[in-house]
Amino acid sequence: MPSLYKWGHLDRRAFIASSASVFVTATAVFAEKSDKDTLRFGLTPVFLNDDIKLLSAIRTYLADATGYAIDLVTRRTYQEVTALLVSGQLDAAWICGYPFVKYRKELELVAVPQWNGKPHYQSYLIAAADRRVTDVMELRGDIHAYSDPDSNSGYLVTQALLHEKGFDPETFFNKVLFTYAHRNVIRAVASGLVQSGSVDGYVWEVLKETDPDLVSKTKVVRKSEWFGFPPVAAVKGQLGTRKIIMLQKALLSSTETEEGRMMLDYLRLSGFGKSPASLFDSVADNVAALRGVL
Amino acid sequence: MIVLRRFSQLSSSVRISLIVMLLMAAVSLTLSERVLSRLSENQQSYLEGLANSYLGGVAASVSPSVLRRDSWEIYDTLLRMKPEKVSVLPLETIVTTPDDITLASDLPNRFPTFQPVRSEFLSEFSDDQMQLNTQSELGFQMRPIMLRGDTIGKVYVVFDASSLLEERREVLLALLLTNGALTILFAGIGFLMVRRMVGPMQVLENHLQTATSGGLERIAEHEFPKASRDARRMFSAFNTLVDAEREREMLVDRLGKEERMGSLGRLASGMAHEINNPLGGLLNATDTLDKHGHHEKARREAVTLIRRGLLGIRDIVLAALTTYRLEKGARPFSSQDLDDIALLLRPELKGRAQTLRIKRPDHKPDQRGDYGHLPAAALRQALLNLLLNASKASSQGATIDLKMTEVQGYFLIEIFDQGEGLPEEARQLIEASLASSVPKGSSGLGLWVVRQIADELDGILSVRPNEPTGSVVSMKVPAYRKEALNAAA
Repeated sequence: MPSLYKWGHLDRRAFIASSASVFVTATAVFAEKSDKDTLRFGLTPVFLNDDIKLLSAIRTYLADATGYAIDLVTRRTYQEVTALLVSGQLDAAWICGYPFVKYRKELELVAVPQWNGKPHYQSYLIAAADRRVTDVMELRGDIHAYSDPDSNSGYLVTQALLHEKGFDPETFFNKVLFTYAHRNVIRAVASGLVQSGSVDGYVWEVLKETDPDLVSKTKVVRKSEWFGFPPVAAVKGQLGTRKIIMLQKALLSSTETEEGRMMLDYLRLSGFGKSPASLFDSVADNVAALRGVL
Repeated sequence: MIVLRRFSQLSSSVRISLIVMLLMAAVSLTLSERVLSRLSENQQSYLEGLANSYLGGVAASVSPSVLRRDSWEIYDTLLRMKPEKVSVLPLETIVTTPDDITLASDLPNRFPTFQPVRSEFLSEFSDDQMQLNTQSELGFQMRPIMLRGDTIGKVYVVFDASSLLEERREVLLALLLTNGALTILFAGIGFLMVRRMVGPMQVLENHLQTATSGGLERIAEHEFPKASRDARRMFSAFNTLVDAEREREMLVDRLGKEERMGSLGRLASGMAHEINNPLGGLLNATDTLDKHGHHEKARREAVTLIRRGLLGIRDIVLAALTTYRLEKGARPFSSQDLDDIALLLRPELKGRAQTLRIKRPDHKPDQRGDYGHLPAAALRQALLNLLLNASKASSQGATIDLKMTEVQGYFLIEIFDQGEGLPEEARQLIEASLASSVPKGSSGLGLWVVRQIADELDGILSVRPNEPTGSVVSMKVPAYRKEALNAAA
């Protein structure tokens, strides 16, 4: 099964990437001219993007703070959002650290969210709460749920960990499946559909507050080292445009207005900050370690 | 058979009501069975329609995910499609590969992902139609997931059919209550109608039963049914019959009286005849005394003849007195009466050198010495006559026994003689079912009086041989019948 997903994933990615490279310029120009007052902002499922109130809070704040009409664009997979961003169909997007590293040459950081005052988060390996496991080795042979093949915390970190421990990530688990949302990983583990999962530690902790019934059915088996928090990025070259400047300004000053604080409250974030791209070096290290495997 | 016999002993109104009730119960059962059967078919059809609709939706929604073996998508779809507020709720939905490996279920803990589905679970399903388990109150249906003619997976669904079965139970209860109430109502109406219909027959039956025990009564006007002409006609005919019967009875009574008067005449004639014979002897004796009184032997013979004649006359007079002029102030028979009887018989017995032994009742008489309420005069007469007969029948020097015992409310009086047996005429008089007319000849008169007295006291006379010779005449009379006392008086 992992091979099936993997091949499907690579095929899709190759196809989308090639399609994007052909149409990127024309589409971007067309989009700029056709909708210059709208800021198209992509959201990956790393966030709690199924929360209508949260989306509304983000849209309201960004519209007020930037003066642009905000078009929030969500897609099922990281890959789709990343492709839209890289192809210029989005002005900016909140993406994961892994796609940022993958498209490092095409993308630039606009702002990095800060959780508990720091631009870091962890990946969690979780299992059912009533299961007696304390070590990742005990998860061997599980049916395992990943979030997304382009997710750092929901895929890459676990893959790198297994590789580092000398296991073949393809065979360590009996079966793997992708839920395309961190929340769904938790649901899959909590329901018993899978025995373990790889999930964004930030999402797990936030859901622990907002949906304790769900999260209480799971427990953390292992917490990873700290990684750079999924950033807001834009296509290189767009950073100097008014839209991105206004967006960056709005994000960095989000703690200063009522709407901004409301948005941050929904996200359980302490604010947005500027961080160097080196924040994601540890992600890049994992990618490098797994080169030839992924 | 016992039930049928008991049933046939019930009154018509009850029998017909029971039959109505049984017929109604049979109709109710048949109707209930048909209604429940139809309801069951409708429910099955409804459940199958519901299941097909649900399974069709699930199969269409998950088929792309089944093709990709995407357990999460299947699981997520199942959860999103699961209805929450329907009467027949799908409890478990399982999507499998064609060879029954679980891809996902909405209850993953019961059906682990990528594990074979348990065979006992699969055995609940049929390939083509809904299976309803009334014990577990669950419905089971499976549907293959087809893609271009190929089976790419299967959907199994388990429905909670308790609401449908509950509905069946409620319908059954409603049917039972309604039909039960209607059955009782119709049986009650049937009972009243039949009772009304057979009511006149009941009145007629009561009058006929009363008639058999001697109380023939006309049916009163207020008992005539107002509506039924047939019954009125029947009642009128019955009353006509009663009138005719009464007339006949009056005629018989009148004839009886006339017969009695005739009997009296015959009695008077008999008495005259009985008295005339000794009178002739007496007159001869007086002539003998008159002419030969100075001869010792002739005088004695004449005196003996006179005594015998007078005794005969006394018997006749006593018999007449006893039969037709019993004393009004009858007193109960007592122990003293037995002594009197012995005293009265003494001369007769002495003449034959006979002995009388009296055995009195075992129990002591009451404070006044009375034996029950037997009329003293009548019984004294009866005993006297029987003992005189016994004395006459027995030989010189014989012993005559009078035995009086009380047995279960009766006095049994037995006279034992040592004669040569009763004459046939006397035996017939004792054993005949009805008292015959006054017998001819003097010998039977005493016994005839006894028979009259026994009849009036509701007594029974009988005779049997005595051992070694003679007869035992028994009279059995009720000990405590006041009316007998009064009637005798």
